[in-house]
Amino acid sequence: MLQDEEIQEIAAETGFSKNQIVRLYSRFLSLDRQGRGYLDREDFLRIPELAINPLGDRIVDAFFTETGSDTDFRINFRQFIRVLAHFRPLNKHKPNVINSREEKLRFAFSMYDLNKNGYITREEFKFILNMMVGSNITPDQLDSIADRTITEADADNDGKISFEEFCKAMERTDIDQKMSIRFLN
Amino acid sequence: MEQIFLIASIIIPSIAVIVGVNILFAGFGKKSGLREHYVDLLIKIFEWCAKQIEESSELKKRRESDENGEIESDDEGIEVDDSSDDSDENSSVVRKTSKAFALKTSQRCRLVSENHSIISRQATLHPSEKDEFTVTTFVKTQGGAAVMDSVYYLKAGIEAIVEDDVTNRFKAEQLASWNMMTRTSTQFYKFLNWKLTLVWILGLIFRYAILIPIRIIIFFIGGGLLVWSTALIGLIPEGRVKRFLNQRCMLASFRILTRSVSAVVYFHDKQNKAQSGGICVANHTSPLDVMILSMDNVYAMVGQRQGGVLGFVQRTLSRAADHIWFERSVANDRLLVLKALKEHVDDPNKLPIIIFPEGTCINNTSVMQFKKGSFEIGAKVYPIAMKYDSRFGNAFWNSSEQSYGEYFFHLMTSWATVCHVWYLPAMERLPNESAIDFANRVKKAIAAKGGLVDLEWDGQLKRYKVPPKLIAMEQDKCYHHLEKYPLKPQGAQQIDEEIDQEEQR
Repeated sequence: MLQDEEIQEIAAETGFSKNQIVRLYSRFLSLDRQGRGYLDREDFLRIPELAINPLGDRIVDAFFTETGSDTDFRINFRQFIRVLAHFRPLNKHKPNVINSREEKLRFAFSMYDLNKNGYITREEFKFILNMMVGSNITPDQLDSIADRTITEADADNDGKISFEEFCKAMERTDIDQKMSIRFLN
Repeated sequence: MEQIFLIASIIIPSIAVIVGVNILFAGFGKKSGLREHYVDLLIKIFEWCAKQIEESSELKKRRESDENGEIESDDEGIEVDDSSDDSDENSSVVRKTSKAFALKTSQRCRLVSENHSIISRQATLHPSEKDEFTVTTFVKTQGGAAVMDSVYYLKAGIEAIVEDDVTNRFKAEQLASWNMMTRTSTQFYKFLNWKLTLVWILGLIFRYAILIPIRIIIFFIGGGLLVWSTALIGLIPEGRVKRFLNQRCMLASFRILTRSVSAVVYFHDKQNKAQSGGICVANHTSPLDVMILSMDNVYAMVGQRQGGVLGFVQRTLSRAADHIWFERSVANDRLLVLKALKEHVDDPNKLPIIIFPEGTCINNTSVMQFKKGSFEIGAKVYPIAMKYDSRFGNAFWNSSEQSYGEYFFHLMTSWATVCHVWYLPAMERLPNESAIDFANRVKKAIAAKGGLVDLEWDGQLKRYKVPPKLIAMEQDKCYHHLEKYPLKPQGAQQIDEEIDQEEQR
């Protein structure tokens, strides 16, 4: 059970309201079927809507990377809610580090960066593309799309995309809106 | 000693009288109206409790805010979503169609927590052909579209992690207001008020010390009647007399049995009741479904042959009328099952069949995918919608969490089992309709009548993983979306053509 103190700490850190924290805790408990106090990859992939998502695996991976527990693959509730806090909509009157545009972009970046070396290579981009369209396109088409996209964004011509180049490429898009979830009170 | 004798001499005869009167009424199909009044009284008590909870928690909040300064809501940039959630709609459907006294259910019971959703879903993935993507106007190439689509999938994924449509169908429905039972009190169980606690203790004593003995006795009487009457009827040769007796005895025994969980069932649209030669389909919530439906009409049951007590009951039932029980090995052979069903349906002397096409118990907030088997036979389909009122007890059987015995014990210690049953008009398969489309049409009608959410997901997903072909469908959708964009941006195409022309020279 969550203590009041803990709820207040979480509220200060993430910006969620007390109600939302209680509900998210209830969601955490229902995902944690075996009642172990933490979630692992299986618990996430048991959600059917996530399992049919072509990028489901990558999303779970990025989730675990964000918490810093990509080595032992266990998330407790504090880590769980901290990652979800990235997706709160931006509030211009109350800027909070955790759901800033940069944090959202960082999450998207880690979804693409398979080996977590801080760069998105052509191969990694092709991998993601392949996950999304499956067997519908030929390897040649895959190559040309990946080539074009990487070249366009690659400012320093090193053949891969760094986080700064990624942010620059996303500059004129409304990605922060696309990565915001409407949490109800 | 004397005191014990005196007390026992009051309690035991009174229990006997209550039970006896109950049985008599049930046996002859009459209603004493007692249970309806009981339910009415319970609703009044719940309303009072909800008011108490509201007042106490407001007091508490005011005290807290005085101590901590203003409690701010951190979502100033976002409008609060006022749309009503599923259970609100359910309650209004139920309220509209229940009898006059149940209409008195006030708003207070729903006020405590109106919205059960955590987020408002904007990116959902369905296992269907619908095109879900929004058009992004500033993206000029396939590559750019691919990146935007990946973000869409990311959002859909995170939304599914926070709240998804499927996994919450296999948990008990969340109540808007506490119904004085410990097991439903995850959010409301706080000692807010001494009055509330007192009511809770009284309720506990009432349920465990008074209701249970009565209910257990009624259960055994009903069960005994069922077994013995069918055994005796089995001795009579086939014919009209046997069918008549079977009908009377089944109705009587099931009416007694359902009283053992204080079932208050409202049957609507009785003119659409099934006749012989049809197949009745209903949404599945609990093993109790068959018993409740058998209170009003006699059916032929279909199911896997079980062992133990259940198997014994199956055999005795089969003595009095024709039911279809399968061996486990045969049940997997669909054709044999369908053949047996077709033979049964073609015989005018046999009872209408009752089938639950979902194949598993769902928590009564939604209707999941119907298996197409029963819709292929070509018989008339009589849809039935069942909606349990969850304020009085949770009828959903979560077979992975509770054993059969535990489940029945929970039912017997609940306040009551209130259920609305709607008989829908018969439906037949149209000439150009596939069995799957027919099944979906029936499902939609049942969901609409019962105020349930119509889902396309398969109920078996609570046990098994998602099949890869659903993922392939999603990949196809993504590809179709990407196809609409050019590979290269407009300007670049001209430059490329010029380069090609130069190279040719």
